[in-house]
Amino acid sequence: MTREELVAYIGSHFEGKLTEMETGKFDPWFEVKAEDLVEVCQKLHDDENLKFDFLCDLAGNDTRERFEVSYKLVSLTLKHRLDLRVALDYEGAEIESVQHIWAGANWHEREVWELYGINIKNHDNLTRFLLHDEWDEGFPMRKDWDGKDFVRLPEI
Amino acid sequence: MALRTEEFQVNMGPHHPATHGVCRMVLTMDGEKVIKIEPVIGYLHRAIEKICENRTYPQCLPLMDRFEYVTSMATNQVFSMAAEKLAEIEVPERAEYLRVIMVELNRIASHLIFYGVTAMDLGAYTPFLYGLRERELILDLFEETCGQRLTYNYIRIGGVSKDILPGFDKKAHAALDTIEQKLEDYEGLLNENPIWLVRTKGVGVLPAEVAIQYGVSGPSLRASGVDYDIRRDDPYSVYHKFDWEVPTRQNGDTFDRYIQRLDEIRVSIKILRQAIDGLPEGDIKAKVKPKFKPKEGEVYNRIESARGEMGCHLVSDGTVKPVRVKLRGSSYNNLQAIPAFATNCMIADLVAIFATMDIILPECDR
Repeated sequence: MTREELVAYIGSHFEGKLTEMETGKFDPWFEVKAEDLVEVCQKLHDDENLKFDFLCDLAGNDTRERFEVSYKLVSLTLKHRLDLRVALDYEGAEIESVQHIWAGANWHEREVWELYGINIKNHDNLTRFLLHDEWDEGFPMRKDWDGKDFVRLPEI
Repeated sequence: MALRTEEFQVNMGPHHPATHGVCRMVLTMDGEKVIKIEPVIGYLHRAIEKICENRTYPQCLPLMDRFEYVTSMATNQVFSMAAEKLAEIEVPERAEYLRVIMVELNRIASHLIFYGVTAMDLGAYTPFLYGLRERELILDLFEETCGQRLTYNYIRIGGVSKDILPGFDKKAHAALDTIEQKLEDYEGLLNENPIWLVRTKGVGVLPAEVAIQYGVSGPSLRASGVDYDIRRDDPYSVYHKFDWEVPTRQNGDTFDRYIQRLDEIRVSIKILRQAIDGLPEGDIKAKVKPKFKPKEGEVYNRIESARGEMGCHLVSDGTVKPVRVKLRGSSYNNLQAIPAFATNCMIADLVAIFATMDIILPECDR
């Protein structure tokens, strides 16, 4: 499927749950509402003509106005790619886990939870792993987190 | 009466010679059998992504070297390509060729290290010396070109930092001939060695479905029979100009993952010979303003590094500093998949599995 065919196919098969964003010549990018996320992901994974079976990456982002979580998907058999993005408000940011669709999402979601403080529903192991175990200094990847005076010295 | 044994926990790492860095694996053992594996990472977390947000784009490049220091040419390339896509910079053809030459040489160097340390983890010392001896030939080429042997900072936004010296092609061809010839020695040392075969054949089989589910990429994925290589299937740079094919293996066991990487060295040699011979004349760097400002937007760029898919998600707001840099290292997913297929193996086999998945920890922790 070419890029145009892919965009047209998704436009006609998702009942308006996916909104296409302007990306120029980059890979197509769609925005999805948080409540539709799991349903859309399941369909992207299962659909015979899409078969997005491989999750490359899952990244959080803080735009100073809202949080964004982006899912980069690839189909290893049909060899096409797209980005899926969810926008979340600061207050009570929460998404549902997609690890039952792509098991590899597990650590990526843990990372988003740990560094951005976005809660992940139905995740089986939300524990710290990149930061220190007793970390209590907030969520370092948020833009309002100030690290200038931050020094952690070992306790002797 | 059946003999009852008690389960117990063992910490493998953080400072364990077979974990290639600082990774801890909490193992629940039943005798010598591993019944639960829980990898713990984060010991090398240097917050590269956060530091990048406070630096200009060219200042981020040296940090990329530290993101994955065994193939740091590839990490330079993935970041530079993402920045070029945002700024719509056209890279001169000579620079693209030089990038391919350097990244492929770096891939061979990485696989030579893989060959050495995997064999050493399984108790054979000679391959380690062999692998590092041939890697030295490649490092000498890097040193004469960019002055560095490990963290190169050679591939810059818009091109490369320096042109190759006269006589590079002769030296490179000689090095490739040597490596190709020595590959037979490598295989002769291990491929028919009964101890090696018992330790690797049929051990730690990674089924293709599990690999895809967990996002395993690169040689480890291709050793399970999945024919996917970003260089061919999502072409970038000038790879489409060369004649080469993607090798695959079918069994997905430890032996196949090992032999897959030796096959990939041969493919890289094939690409390199064509690239060195066909190197065009021209500029080595596009015109980039000293104050580099890409357009507002975001892009996810991916390349095939020696370990698999390496990605860089770059968000720009039109200023000199990036808003968000997310790096995707293939070891992150490859390590995550180990508990899914290696549970119930023997503890000695876990060392073999970990080594052949070719995990590099700085890439996980970032």
